[in-house]
Amino acid sequence: MSTKRQLTDLRPGEKGRIIAISTSGTVRGRMMDMGLVAGSEVKVIRVAPAGDPVEVLLRGYSLALRKKDAVNVTLEVD
Amino acid sequence: MIRAALIGNPNVGKTEIFNRLTGLSQRVGNFPGVTVEKKAGRMIHRGQEVEVVDLPGTYSLTAHALDELVARDYIVMERPDVIVDIVDGTNLERNLYLTLLLLEMDANLVVALNRWDMVAARGMKIDVEKLSELLGCPVVQTVAITGEGLEDLKNSIVEVAGQKNAKENRAVQNYGDDIEQLINRVEDVIQKSPAPVEKYPRRWLAIKMLEGDERVMEQTRASLSSPQLAEILSIIEAGEAAIR
Repeated sequence: MSTKRQLTDLRPGEKGRIIAISTSGTVRGRMMDMGLVAGSEVKVIRVAPAGDPVEVLLRGYSLALRKKDAVNVTLEVD
Repeated sequence: MIRAALIGNPNVGKTEIFNRLTGLSQRVGNFPGVTVEKKAGRMIHRGQEVEVVDLPGTYSLTAHALDELVARDYIVMERPDVIVDIVDGTNLERNLYLTLLLLEMDANLVVALNRWDMVAARGMKIDVEKLSELLGCPVVQTVAITGEGLEDLKNSIVEVAGQKNAKENRAVQNYGDDIEQLINRVEDVIQKSPAPVEKYPRRWLAIKMLEGDERVMEQTRASLSSPQLAEILSIIEAGEAAIR
């Protein structure tokens, strides 16, 4: 069974599929431009001390996200 | 003289290709009013003089970031004869997003599939002919650091610049019936407006208006009558309500 989790709750090596980006405006647009859209698979590569930033693998490339942005990404995790 | 502009994601080998195309003739210039640099140079190929402009590397073409805006304004306002989209062949999924945005802007496009040596080295296979067919524009394999494929790229630039119907087969992103309907309605309103708006690709304008792009709203305000503007705003509002 899959569970709903925020991107910031995942540990390195864990992955999930995006179901929602709960932010708006410029930041939302930017995140979507970088490929963070519903359905995208995201894997956490590593997390900096204090959880900020978070490096993820998506669409074959690495992307670093601020904790305050990553927390708005909801994933479906198996 | 042919005017060509190079664009692509950051770190795809864009400037290396620029240097290969223009030799030692490049100089550094500034776009008026902003601090983001553009480089311009010249090349002569098959007896044709080509001005090559190196635009800032970007992932997208929104109005939010200065470098993206510089690239976008150049394409929309200066209307270069050819846009060369330098794509990292090892990362098509991310890179082709910009390619689709460029096609949406009605750009006369040539795609350079760069880092072609790495594509093979990583055991990846790309059906270049199929990609070209799907995008509706020429796709040329290149290796910027060795110069491989650069002659083919030069040939494509000169050929596409001379083709009036080069854009006929280009790919158009379909956003689904509900959004497409909104785009059509906004396009209809724009079509009835006086001349100045018409220098922008109409579909692109409609999409940007639906996105609430502040730059486009500002640029078109003078060209649209207030009833037209009100009609567009009501279409946007109704559309947003329907989608939510």
